[in-house]
Amino acid sequence: MFGLEERALVSPREMVERARLLGSRGLAVPGNESVILGFFEEERLVATGSLVGNILQGIAVDRELEGEGVAATVTSALLKKAMETGRRQLFLYSKPDEAKRFEALGFTLLATATVERTGLGASLLEWGAEGIDMWRTAMAAKAEGGPEGAGVAVVNCNPFTLGHYRLLEYAAAHVPKLYVLVVEEDRSLFPFEVRFRLVEEGASGLKNVVVLRGGPYVISSATFPTYFTRIESGEEERMTELYAALDIELFGRYVAPTLRVTDRFVGTEPYCPVTSIYNRMMKERLPKGGEGWSPVRVREMPRFEMEGLPVSASRVRALIREGGLENVRPLVPESTWKWLVSEEARPVIEKIRNSESRH
Amino acid sequence: MTSVKNSVAGSLESSDVLVTVGPAEGEENKLDVESIVFKQFGARIRSVAEEVVAASGVKGAAVRIQDRGALECTLRARLETALERAIKA
Repeated sequence: MFGLEERALVSPREMVERARLLGSRGLAVPGNESVILGFFEEERLVATGSLVGNILQGIAVDRELEGEGVAATVTSALLKKAMETGRRQLFLYSKPDEAKRFEALGFTLLATATVERTGLGASLLEWGAEGIDMWRTAMAAKAEGGPEGAGVAVVNCNPFTLGHYRLLEYAAAHVPKLYVLVVEEDRSLFPFEVRFRLVEEGASGLKNVVVLRGGPYVISSATFPTYFTRIESGEEERMTELYAALDIELFGRYVAPTLRVTDRFVGTEPYCPVTSIYNRMMKERLPKGGEGWSPVRVREMPRFEMEGLPVSASRVRALIREGGLENVRPLVPESTWKWLVSEEARPVIEKIRNSESRH
Repeated sequence: MTSVKNSVAGSLESSDVLVTVGPAEGEENKLDVESIVFKQFGARIRSVAEEVVAASGVKGAAVRIQDRGALECTLRARLETALERAIKA
């Protein structure tokens, strides 16, 4: 739009102005931004938008300039910034009542979720129209010839333990076919390719199990950004509930029908606050079904324990951090153990020992 | 053979058009047209785009056009710029 000066926001004073603009439109400061743009009229900040990885977020226009097409200016500028860094698949978060505005700009609405308890709501949109359709076609091909009424387990397996094995074994015994979706986002201490391979090897004895890449619509940085960051204040918990609700909506709307899934299996979560919020929301929402999608049963299995302690990936990482790799051996299948003592594992183990990361 | 890079030109503002170019699968060019005036001008936009893409000599490009009611000269300019950026080493 003519007359607006675009520049990146950097100074603390600009950040304060931006937070005020966002707040005036009922939006929170997203956090973890890689690019923050401001649009100025004279020296006054009248519009802003930011990129959080491949997500356009925190787009706000001053009330006085509403209806002048400034949102299109902000969105175009953000799309260009994202494209410059080579990103092709882009997402956008908006308030549910503003999703239409972005649909008119060429985005496709994927899902809308609201959390009654907090009154928070969000819509997730995707730039272009091919993303979700291509993904569904690819997934449907993997599920071709599969039965109605399959099961699914979404796992991170950082790394694959006997606890995971027990969950998959239990699930596989209760459904004709079990799809295991491995979270693809590479933000965990064990790289995705390793996690995936260890799940495949660990579950190879279970004949009706198919291990699949989770992709961008299953617990990714787009569907569930706070899964990959720490929860701190009360605000973060509210955001986690919101993102969990969105991820669950996507699961019910796209994942379950594409794979013809009726049951989702999950282990109880004793340690991680994000996962326990997610599990609670899932138990509330999936069995109810949603607008345009059928209910999915949630079957929770208690964590497998040895000597009174749950066998979990976080405990495995804690034991590695404390130095005693040998102590890990009873908690993991042979395939995971072999990898842990391999040459390839050395940098990962080094990273775990030097890291405070939850994941 | 030229390799196609990701590039963008134009904007989503009213009376403009956003052209995005990226690598396609294979040697064929792929063309995607969206327009707020698709009914009246969709066919014309496509034929202009095909002409400009062919003239650029590009191969294996996925071209996406999101038209917000741009004039033909604007469309041509945006296409040429995006394609030039996509091909430039």
